[in-house]
Amino acid sequence: MILALLASLALAQGDYAPGRAGTDPLDAEREARVQRLGKQIRCPVCQGVSIADSPSSMARAQLDKVRELVAAGRSDEEIYQYFVARYGEWALLSPSKQGVTSVLWLAPVLLILLGTLFIWLQVRKKPAAPPAAEPAVSTAAAEEDPYLAAVRKDLQQ
Amino acid sequence: MKRWVVIGVAVAATATLLVVYFKAFGTDPHAVPFMLTGKKAPPFKIKRLDTGEVVDSSAYAGQPMVLNFWSTWCGPCKQEHPVLNWAAQKYQGRAVFFGIVFESEEDATKRWLQEHGEGFPQLFDPKSTVAVDYGVSGVPETYFIDKSGTIVSKYPYPIDPRTMEARLAEIL
Repeated sequence: MILALLASLALAQGDYAPGRAGTDPLDAEREARVQRLGKQIRCPVCQGVSIADSPSSMARAQLDKVRELVAAGRSDEEIYQYFVARYGEWALLSPSKQGVTSVLWLAPVLLILLGTLFIWLQVRKKPAAPPAAEPAVSTAAAEEDPYLAAVRKDLQQ
Repeated sequence: MKRWVVIGVAVAATATLLVVYFKAFGTDPHAVPFMLTGKKAPPFKIKRLDTGEVVDSSAYAGQPMVLNFWSTWCGPCKQEHPVLNWAAQKYQGRAVFFGIVFESEEDATKRWLQEHGEGFPQLFDPKSTVAVDYGVSGVPETYFIDKSGTIVSKYPYPIDPRTMEARLAEIL
């Protein structure tokens, strides 16, 4: 109760990040583009949320920037580059398919191909021939064995 | 032959993991990357809170500059404010200091400054446009810009006197 009262007092004094409505939306077509681009740009003060989905005032300010760049006729690539120039590829929720980050896209495909190749090689391999049965002790060897000869002799008696 | 292939693959996989491990070792996994180091500082034109005049950053070309981004609701900003007031006085004439207040209400900011002191000019960024241009990712953040207008470094934590002097030495 006391905490709630203190929080209310702090809010009354302006000790909070004020919510902002952001700039006015553009016409329907361009605003749809603003929202589509905003969903691909990571909010820097949130946890894995896009600037289009975050309610934080920093994200609102960044979406305003996207709106300003769209209104100025900038291309999608130029707008992404504005944020990449400040935060690196980290700013993009879908990493670009060029340069070092292309590995992120290619690695899963490569692993699937390697796995398929491995399975195919295993299936194609001929099953190993069953091991030959152990030959019985050869008769000749048995005849030469003095112990066996002694046993036979004892049995005959 | 087959044995050497297996060993080769194992060595390559281990080496890759070691490179990733040592590259990331000691870094803050929550730190937001900052790519403007070594680039020209974005220009700005915003209102000064005490006089109401519009400050144009281009008017300060050729002078080292310290920009401190902060907000009234930010506890660590309160903690570092005396350090900034002290440095602004100590380095007066050698570097230009500006506070840039964003995500705050103008009246609340004025009250805050009356309470905590205003040792250097404070600029008001009502729509956070300057903060977005500078790639700010939280508060407080202090930027050090040399006399050629290049961002030499950014300190994204509450600044202490020792760090302030070390960073200033890089731009003076």
